[in-house]
Amino acid sequence: MSEFIYDEPVIKIEKLFKKYGQFIAVNKISFEVQQGEVFGLLGPNGAGKTTTMEMIEGLRKPDGGMALVAGFDTQKQLNKVKEVIGVQLQSTSLFDLLKVIEITQMYASFYPNPVEIEPLLESVNLHEKMNDRVKNLSGGQKQRLAIALALVNDPKVIFLDEPTTGLDPQARRTLWDIILKLKERGKTIILSTHYMDEAHILCDRICLVDQGNIIALDTPQELIKSLDSQSAVEFNLSNEDLLNDEDKKLLEHEFGNMTAVKQVDIHHDTYILYTDQLQETLTDLIQQAEEKKINLADLQTRTATLEDVFIHMTGRSLREE
Amino acid sequence: MKGYGQLTIAQLRIFARNRQVLFWTLFFPIFLMIMIGSFIGGGNDVSLQGVIIDMDDSSDSNIFVDGLISNQTSIDAPVSIQFELSKDESIAKEQLKQGDIQLIAIVPEGYSNEVNAIGGSSNIILYYDETDQLRSTIGIGLVEGVVDQISKQMAGYEPVITVQQEGLQSLNLQYIDFLVPGIVAMMIMSNNLNGVAGQIASWRERGVLRRMQSTTLKASTFIAAQITARLILNGLQALIVLLVGSFIFGTQVNGSWLLLIMFVVLGTLTFMSIGFIIASVAKTPESAGPIAGFISFPLLFLGGVFFPIDDMPSYLQPIVNSLPIAHLSTAFRQIMNVGADLTTLWSEALLLSGWMIVSFIIASFTFKWD
Repeated sequence: MSEFIYDEPVIKIEKLFKKYGQFIAVNKISFEVQQGEVFGLLGPNGAGKTTTMEMIEGLRKPDGGMALVAGFDTQKQLNKVKEVIGVQLQSTSLFDLLKVIEITQMYASFYPNPVEIEPLLESVNLHEKMNDRVKNLSGGQKQRLAIALALVNDPKVIFLDEPTTGLDPQARRTLWDIILKLKERGKTIILSTHYMDEAHILCDRICLVDQGNIIALDTPQELIKSLDSQSAVEFNLSNEDLLNDEDKKLLEHEFGNMTAVKQVDIHHDTYILYTDQLQETLTDLIQQAEEKKINLADLQTRTATLEDVFIHMTGRSLREE
Repeated sequence: MKGYGQLTIAQLRIFARNRQVLFWTLFFPIFLMIMIGSFIGGGNDVSLQGVIIDMDDSSDSNIFVDGLISNQTSIDAPVSIQFELSKDESIAKEQLKQGDIQLIAIVPEGYSNEVNAIGGSSNIILYYDETDQLRSTIGIGLVEGVVDQISKQMAGYEPVITVQQEGLQSLNLQYIDFLVPGIVAMMIMSNNLNGVAGQIASWRERGVLRRMQSTTLKASTFIAAQITARLILNGLQALIVLLVGSFIFGTQVNGSWLLLIMFVVLGTLTFMSIGFIIASVAKTPESAGPIAGFISFPLLFLGGVFFPIDDMPSYLQPIVNSLPIAHLSTAFRQIMNVGADLTTLWSEALLLSGWMIVSFIIASFTFKWD
């Protein structure tokens, strides 16, 4: 792959804007995606991920801004765009009564130059299920079929909208392997998800979105680095109910002053202390808790994740209702 | 284009594999036809039962009673009439109220004396069921006929003019001949109206259409494939209903099959377009059903499927006569029963085409992928 192609962004969106009535779904966002990149849109439900993707795919008309895919404007040259993209929608159900091979052939017939069907089904591990009806496939198999259908036209850019939502861990891993293989083949992939582990493993760059706005855009490593801390200490207070707001403020302040603590986040009733020196922070916390008669519950430590980045930046969790 | 062929085949496969839908959409019209056809049957027979109470019991009254019982009547109606003699007036009245009998004729006491007196006359008393107009009219006519005959004989009257009655029927048509074309029209209407509205609305809700929209497939290709698949299905279903009607009830197609097929196509296109409009109007697939029902149900009863349009109140006729189903069923009927050709059916063809074009235009403007 020549450097020249890599320089040219495959996707370029500028001030993309969409509102439904008074509700602003996507608030003038801009970004670029390079050829061969796996670009993640990470955010909670309702953040505007799907609307953003569908505006780039040309399925939804933006109320402002523009989107270019492979140099084609999604509003003016939609048919050109459709030829070079492959789409897996978040909640598409397929024709239950058709066989896997039949539905794949049907979608292939919509394009002028489709790929060969059997190798395609083999690449998503559905070769043995070729003659089964869609109805009889498992959730993971259906998702793999949806990805196969997104690949029938050998697209440059593949849009995967929450491909692993609702799948069991095994099926998720199978799907990750397929996505990583696509990446090896140099495909550009736009992936939306609300699983931070998934984003971390699959994506070259992650765009954190919340309420229609981009709150951060960087590689997973850089995003976590921006937290300035490598570890997190998490706990609840067992006598939480007895505290009033003033007490809580005071406590938060005290936790912040403990050894090596860089940040304190309170999420629901859970306190999270971020630190680079886990051992010192932990020792100090337990000592002070003893002295001040603070009852710690559910105490645990872990390395900081994208979830922490999100909580830190928005005050909310990714999988909140 | 390949997409058109593949989509048509896919839709036909879905039809063929959706056994339950296939069975019920075909079974319902056939069931309806056999049920209504067997009940009303070949003839329009009306049965009428009456009771005679002879209070006089003279030779004169016996002439009257015999006349009624032997049904010597000039009424030319497909009626089977049975009169029985009875003594008890109150029991007979009770039977009349129950609806077991429809007529009571009472020969009063002293009938013989009254009629034989010079210049004398007598009254036969008739009780009938006012709520049953048809049979009352037939019964009264019958009794009046017998009375008239006896009166003439007694007066020694010779009629100067008589009426010679001769039935003339070039075609031996029965209700079933009226019914079968109506049922074919009904099937085309309901399968397309409900079928298209339900399926498209549900595909939209489930994102099936949205997924196809993200490919280079054109909406026109998609719709053309839908039309083709449904035409094939409707043609086959109409053929099956016609064959069943022909084997069980001996209905026939006197006119051109080609013209019949043309009207099947015209009807399918019209009601599919209306189905597409309903699918666009309906916000959810759940509401598509009731909306389609709201439109198809009145059409079923007003559109001359089960009852002739001429029987409708006159103020309704202009409305009824502009409905697409009315023209479809009329056209089928004319082709099958009378063997009409396009020279007599041009107005039906024209009106149906008008409906088709208008609803197709509305459908294409309101069609939404999502």
